[in-house]
Amino acid sequence: MVSEELKVINPSGLHLRPAGNLCKEALKYDSKINIIFKDATANAKSVLSVLAACVKCGDAIKITCDGRDEKEALEALKNLINSGFGELK
Amino acid sequence: MKIYGVGAAEGIGIGVAKVVREQNVEVVKKTVSDSETEVNNFMRVLDITKAETEKMSQALEKNASAKEAEILFGHIMLMSDPMLVDEIVNRIKGESVCAEYVIEEVCNQYAAVFASMDDELMQQRATDMIDIKTRLIKKVLGIENTDLSKLPYGSILVAKDLTPSMTAGLNPDNVLGIVTQFGGKTSHSAILARALEIPAVVGLSNLPEDISDDTDILLDGESGEVIILPTDNEKSDYENKKKKYDANKEVLKKYRELPSISKDGKKVEIAGNIGSPEDAKKVIENGGEGIGLFRTEFLFMDRDCMPTEEEQFESYKEVAAAMEGKPVIIRTLDIGGDKEIPYMGIVQDENPFLGYRAIRLCLDRKDDIYIPQLRALLRASAFGNIKIMLPLITSMDEIREAKALISNIKKELDEKNIAYNKNIEVGIMVETAAASLLADIFAKEVDFFSIGTNDLIQYTMSVDRGNVKIAGLYSPFSPAVLRSINRIITEGKKAGIMVGMCGEAAADPLLIPVLLAWGMDEFSMSASSILKSRQIISGCDSKDLKAKVDKVLEMSTESEIKEYLKKLTEEIGC
Repeated sequence: MVSEELKVINPSGLHLRPAGNLCKEALKYDSKINIIFKDATANAKSVLSVLAACVKCGDAIKITCDGRDEKEALEALKNLINSGFGELK
Repeated sequence: MKIYGVGAAEGIGIGVAKVVREQNVEVVKKTVSDSETEVNNFMRVLDITKAETEKMSQALEKNASAKEAEILFGHIMLMSDPMLVDEIVNRIKGESVCAEYVIEEVCNQYAAVFASMDDELMQQRATDMIDIKTRLIKKVLGIENTDLSKLPYGSILVAKDLTPSMTAGLNPDNVLGIVTQFGGKTSHSAILARALEIPAVVGLSNLPEDISDDTDILLDGESGEVIILPTDNEKSDYENKKKKYDANKEVLKKYRELPSISKDGKKVEIAGNIGSPEDAKKVIENGGEGIGLFRTEFLFMDRDCMPTEEEQFESYKEVAAAMEGKPVIIRTLDIGGDKEIPYMGIVQDENPFLGYRAIRLCLDRKDDIYIPQLRALLRASAFGNIKIMLPLITSMDEIREAKALISNIKKELDEKNIAYNKNIEVGIMVETAAASLLADIFAKEVDFFSIGTNDLIQYTMSVDRGNVKIAGLYSPFSPAVLRSINRIITEGKKAGIMVGMCGEAAADPLLIPVLLAWGMDEFSMSASSILKSRQIISGCDSKDLKAKVDKVLEMSTESEIKEYLKKLTEEIGC
């Protein structure tokens, strides 16, 4: 399993569109992917689960990936989050 | 029968009613013998629903309604959610119960979670969840509302209100009008109608409950008039109105490619007012020659933290680049105690419009608010023709202090070798009595004036325009307001600077000839008014008009001026 702490920098936080894009990306990988925020664990492949975590701009989250493509998955999600989901362009 | 509502999307609609009836859906828990078939049925319904939503979402994106497309995108994401879908499938299999019952249970459970969240945007997701639930259950049970995707040509959609999912299958080619009992100018139905250019009247509180399908209906999306079961006379009236409206639309299209020049050859600029970068597209589509007012408040609203300099830079740059060298006047933050913004520490002010706001607040919060915004503006100026506009100016000190900040930032950018437009223009909103009285002095210190009529009227007439008891005082035709505008234009032109206007009055057909004759250079307005205003200007002879419009400066009442200008514009036929 690999994991990394990241800061959410896009203005709207993990609201519908960013959360949706995060899930779309996560669904491309076989690994089990979780988002850990404030003691709660969200399934990165479920938009409902990610939304329910209520992650806002400036919050620090931990991403964990577990599976055969875990490294690639983590890298992809990291890039997406650090790019601000295109909200910053 | 005539009734009146809120005109939500322009145009004349003539057609027959297609009523969307809200059926109460009774969900009964039933056991099923073949849960495999039940699951397959559910998956099939889910796929159809997703495909319909996808189609509508694309149609809306094309029609520049990102916000509506966003809601539908959300619906698709929610319907694709493995957690939701798996839970429904597993429960149908595990409990051998019917799909509609499980959908009801599971969706309600998620809606309740969202509704309990302490976040307005999340609470809206509860509405989405319920909307999806109802739609899926109806589809499973084979209850069809009027199927909006199959409405025949000539339909006028009649409903209590339209939800995003109801409209997902709507065919805009066949629907000639929308009439709803609820909603206002910014409700889903209204936004959708404008995006699809379907005439619409909403908020018809006395819309009869018992309209039957195929009843004749006429509607005027501008005035908000709806006629049910019209007489032959009314019908032919509306047919004429529609012909006129359509012809007018065609004529206006012609003006899209033309410059804004009066009969006597005076060239002016007609620009658009925008509230976010995506609005710039509408301005370009309507033949706008620039952006006369870009309100930057949107960057600071509806969020939990200050926008970074980078984020602001990207937004300003996006507009500057989209306008391809045409002027883009960006107003620095105009915010105050009429809005509560917790992360900025802005609290309700007792007298917000006379209080701590706009330039006053910004100059007091240089480090965290003003310097980052000005730096973002300067950096973005390398990508287009950006001009900086300072709001709510009342004293020379404010202008000088802001300009000093700008020149300090320029020095800093020079040192770091960061590109920006060294000759960037800095102008002011002229919207206070003080600025109007000092226009001659301010004109020597700034590069342009833009008259903000909404506030100028409010501050000149001491009238709160939101207060209906005194709304009669709020008028651009007040003699005091027109004298003030005349003074601002005259002093600006004397000093040789550009004078524009970015309030509603700039698009008023009665005022355009006046402003033109007085020498105003730039008219900035909402995108939808641009072509109409260009047509008016093309029909005016500014030299010939000068003596005629100057007469209003000698008139003593608002009604006298308005009457006079009505006659004058009829005479010149514009």
